[in-house]
Amino acid sequence: MSVSTPTIVQTESLWTRLRKSVRRNIQSYVLLVALAAIWGVFFFLTHGSYLDAQNISNLFRQMTVTALLSIGMVLVIVTGGIDLSVGKLAGFVSVVVAYLQFYVWFKLFPGQVVLPAILSVICGLLVGLLAGVVQGYIIAYLGLPAFIVTLGGMWLFNGLLLLVTQGKTIAANQPVFSDIAQGYLPPIWGWVIFALIVVALIWNVFNSRRNKQKFGFTPRALYLDFLSVGVVLVVILGYVYSVNSYKGIPAPVLLLAVVAIAIAYAANNTRFGRYAYAIGGNREAARLSGINISRLIFMVFVLMGGLCGVSGVVLASYVGYGTIAAGTGYELDAIAACILGGTSPLGGVGTIPGALIGALIIASLTTGLQMLNVQPAWQYVVKAIILIAAVYIDVYFKKHR
Amino acid sequence: MDDENILEFKHVTKRFPGVVALNDVSFNIRLGEIHGICGENGAGKSTLVKILSGVYPHGTYEGAVIYGGEELRLGQSSIQEAVKKGIAIVYQELILVPTRTVGENVFLGKEPVEHGVISWNKVYADTQAILTRYKLDVDPRAVVNNLGVGKMQMVEIAKALSENAKILILDEPTSALTKAEVEKLMGILRTLKQHGITCIYISHRLEEFFQITDRVTVMRDGKVITTQPIKDVTQNDLIKYMVGREMKERFPKGNRKPGDVVFEVEGLEAVDPNDPNRKVLDGVSFNVRKGEILGIAGLMGSGRTELVTTLFGEYGKVTKGKIRINEQEIKIRSAHDAISAGLSLVPEDRKKMGLVLIQTILRNISLPNLDQFVKFFSIDANAERQACAQQAKSLTIKAPSLEVLAETLSGGNQQKVVIAKWLLSRPKILIMDDPTRGIDVGAKFEIYKLMNDLAEKGVAIIMISSELEEVIGMSDRIMVMCRGHSTTTLPVAEADKERIMALATGLAFA
Repeated sequence: MSVSTPTIVQTESLWTRLRKSVRRNIQSYVLLVALAAIWGVFFFLTHGSYLDAQNISNLFRQMTVTALLSIGMVLVIVTGGIDLSVGKLAGFVSVVVAYLQFYVWFKLFPGQVVLPAILSVICGLLVGLLAGVVQGYIIAYLGLPAFIVTLGGMWLFNGLLLLVTQGKTIAANQPVFSDIAQGYLPPIWGWVIFALIVVALIWNVFNSRRNKQKFGFTPRALYLDFLSVGVVLVVILGYVYSVNSYKGIPAPVLLLAVVAIAIAYAANNTRFGRYAYAIGGNREAARLSGINISRLIFMVFVLMGGLCGVSGVVLASYVGYGTIAAGTGYELDAIAACILGGTSPLGGVGTIPGALIGALIIASLTTGLQMLNVQPAWQYVVKAIILIAAVYIDVYFKKHR
Repeated sequence: MDDENILEFKHVTKRFPGVVALNDVSFNIRLGEIHGICGENGAGKSTLVKILSGVYPHGTYEGAVIYGGEELRLGQSSIQEAVKKGIAIVYQELILVPTRTVGENVFLGKEPVEHGVISWNKVYADTQAILTRYKLDVDPRAVVNNLGVGKMQMVEIAKALSENAKILILDEPTSALTKAEVEKLMGILRTLKQHGITCIYISHRLEEFFQITDRVTVMRDGKVITTQPIKDVTQNDLIKYMVGREMKERFPKGNRKPGDVVFEVEGLEAVDPNDPNRKVLDGVSFNVRKGEILGIAGLMGSGRTELVTTLFGEYGKVTKGKIRINEQEIKIRSAHDAISAGLSLVPEDRKKMGLVLIQTILRNISLPNLDQFVKFFSIDANAERQACAQQAKSLTIKAPSLEVLAETLSGGNQQKVVIAKWLLSRPKILIMDDPTRGIDVGAKFEIYKLMNDLAEKGVAIIMISSELEEVIGMSDRIMVMCRGHSTTTLPVAEADKERIMALATGLAFA
């Protein structure tokens, strides 16, 4: 009597699968092509020096501050919000940390270097988290629009930043602390990490295949798994080889990688992440599915605050001092990185790897234009054109796939 | 009878990757007739409309569409083109700007301009002229938001007609209308016919074809099954053509054996959370037994939907009364509380409240059930996929895979996804608010069977419905609501349409 038969098809040819995967991920591919094109153009214009070991090393090191912010921003935008305060919050954290380093710890613990660095990191994180708690509470529980609350936050943190610095620059270039963003892993450690990644990825292939079989699913052909692992490993290998021929993996890049992997994993594989995407996709349906929306949005802003803390510490260490202009405009870089990386401004869609590639594109442009000694005015113009063009290409492909 | 054709489909085929949406469709629409089109969801009706509107331009389909003696060749981004040629379409989902007036909506995008500014007087005068001409009873200066669904529909029609339409296509115009509003719409269509406007009328409500159409075309699986004068067919014939078999019974007979009371509501009163002076529930009492289907009947605005959303902790603020599950009194403050207590809600509007349309079937089904799959804070993707695939299979969700986005599914399949998501949470009490709204006969039957299966397995089902036949056909007992309170609960044997209507309108007391 039943009119229909179950038609959940599992078997597809390799070719259609590949095509589908390309179509599904067209955004990432377009972005990677754009990135390659940008690198290619600068490589040509700088007669090769753009892609030398030192510059590659610096490029990734430079993007860490905004990339850390963009990781949190993805989740904020995915849940349908926005956070305009992140740049100034990171800046505020950086001057607080510089102040503590310069005026407090070295007076309290003369002759020590490790303890002050640890205390600075903890304080920086706490300041970020606290700011996230306050803003998150106002947005999630008092129901004020995120745009307004975080705009207020931006002004507030700017004010606090000026109060802390009193208009002066504070040195934060003490040993150990400056290693956070300026240190390098010895090349041998780079290779050890690479070896660990190889082992972990291969173990993961077999483990996930075994788990699939346990549930009665047929895993895809083994060579496909190895193909995708292989591509990832080649990219990492290239990176490690390149930076090792300069000074080694920069410490902040390793930190960024760890944070990004942890949060990207959480976005896909925990209730927190799944709920965030559901809320952005349809708030009403999410509420009726029993999700505590206020709590989740609160948590997203706390996470964002925590990442501002991390970012601020890296910023202070990277620049070597706390300045009155710290973090200015970073919020817009972070938002641009997300949107470039395919995060929908309407919420519900967006990935962390996408945002990282977006951040890398922005950093690549900035570095390249600086290397060519382009005037700052024209740097802005070029960046503007590329931002709009990239998003247009993305929209075009979405429409015509 | 004028036998001239205004529109002719000649061997039209429209393919999508993996699906043939229209398969060699040929039929014609005569000038001045009201032509009904019926078919199950996915039969190809919407695709047909999209070819006429220009969403699928000329060249993206095979075959030819002849309109007024010439081949219709709509180009890319051609929606305005179709309108200019006199093809007007009123879509199932109303597309008005709710915060603006009727006149502004009617002339949206084609405002009359004098000296570079919009002439509002002309907008309202012309709107009034259209409204009067077709006997549409709406104030041109009223804000759309303040109108009922029926009046909004009239505005949509006026908007479509303002472009000198020759042919008007109505895509399921009545799915959200009350009976009185439907009657009114029928009257309007007759007026339009007198003015010589051809009309294509697409609907799921078969009885309407007999009231209004001249001929009817039945589609199934992208093909035209038959086109016949309405006077030559019966409702059963249409159903037979649509589903390809004879439908002996609209409601499957279940073998339900209701047990003890599991859910009980006593003297529930609640107010609008935004306006504490407005009572939305004013004394509701009923109970449901294990393995029973309780129907809730009542007119629009009687508090049916408010009742279930309040029970789910999401709308009304409870001021009085008790809710008990298995004789234990419980407090429900949020959907989360309700779900933990064993309640599930298949909401009234699956697109707005039931589904995350931009996510996959898999993610939609698993959303409220992630707790089941969590190990060390992380979701076991394999366990999740297995459980969801099993639900999709047992509910016969038609889709190429679980990775398909919910927005691409037909109405019936979307509803099945919503039901699947709630069945996976293994509810003790399943509340279904108008579960078969806007879905086709075949899918309705499947959902009824499913409700029987669930009840037989011991789930207590509370079903709200606007269709009295459905309430009577599916329920063991029927609770009738009127103006926010429950009048009485009737065993189905004592219920008939007249009795329920009398209770629902407040004309009779139990």
